[in-house]
Amino acid sequence: MESVFVLVVVGLTSAGAYVLGTAGLGFSRSGIRLALGKTCECVGLMLVFGVLNLAVATCTILAMRSVSGRFVSLYIASDTTFLMLSWLQALTFQAWREGSHQRHTSESRDSKLLHREP
Amino acid sequence: MSGWRFIRGLGIVTVVAFLLVCFTPLPNLLNRWTGVSAQLQPAAAIVVLGGGTEGVGVLSTSSLRRTVHGITLFQRGFAPLLALSGPASQPPGRGEAEVRAELARLFGVSPAAIVTETTARTTRAEAACMAALLHPKGVSKILLVTGYAHMARARRLFEKVGFTVQPAPVDDLSEASKPEARWGLMRPLAQEFLARTYYRVAGYL
Repeated sequence: MESVFVLVVVGLTSAGAYVLGTAGLGFSRSGIRLALGKTCECVGLMLVFGVLNLAVATCTILAMRSVSGRFVSLYIASDTTFLMLSWLQALTFQAWREGSHQRHTSESRDSKLLHREP
Repeated sequence: MSGWRFIRGLGIVTVVAFLLVCFTPLPNLLNRWTGVSAQLQPAAAIVVLGGGTEGVGVLSTSSLRRTVHGITLFQRGFAPLLALSGPASQPPGRGEAEVRAELARLFGVSPAAIVTETTARTTRAEAACMAALLHPKGVSKILLVTGYAHMARARRLFEKVGFTVQPAPVDDLSEASKPEARWGLMRPLAQEFLARTYYRVAGYL
């Protein structure tokens, strides 16, 4: 029952956002496919950062144990804040990539225009 | 470009996995598959494994549930000895085992029937320390109290140090029905999966 409720609410707000985007804000209908692809890339990046953080945290804890001789719990590596921070890392990295790509595209366009001038 | 296609594929797999975890009974099936059911029989001692504290002298939910389950088994006459584990706190104060022992006394368990172990910080160390503490008392058959997902690893480690283990998990076959509860159930399962992998790689299991 709770599962259906959550899915229905999210479905309704998603449909509302689609209507607002297409009718109110003039977004292209075909752009939603591209946006979903970008979202999946971001989620994939989050997973990569998550695994990387887990691996680095585990290695650091094991190194601290062997170097200092003090006990440090490996459970710290599974702290849920790592998940949220991995998400932020992924969002930032994706935005950086998009920004660099756009800048590179506009710079090459400007360069072409300059070369055309007599 | 193919690298980004791979990352996009990873993202699709992650989204599908998230939906399966939150909106299907998959976590319950995984929980049942990886856990060990209770086999309650009389034993020489009830061993309650540590579950952590949240600040000095405050038991975590997991620790409290394990303690209450151990006390309940003791009161029902399953064993004459209640062995409580939990490391001393940092900074110094009342450690987990001491708080648990106090709780057991409040519930009417005789102080003479309570044994505490305050040095072990891992499941492997708990098995070794409990063996050093209980074997001289002639204890070999124990009722082991810990989390359902944690039981398989803990049981194997206690058997390796010479105990005959009867599992007494605290959360037997918990059926998570809400999306948040299913998501919450996946965390200890994933944690235990990583812990088992680490113990196997290190040669502890």
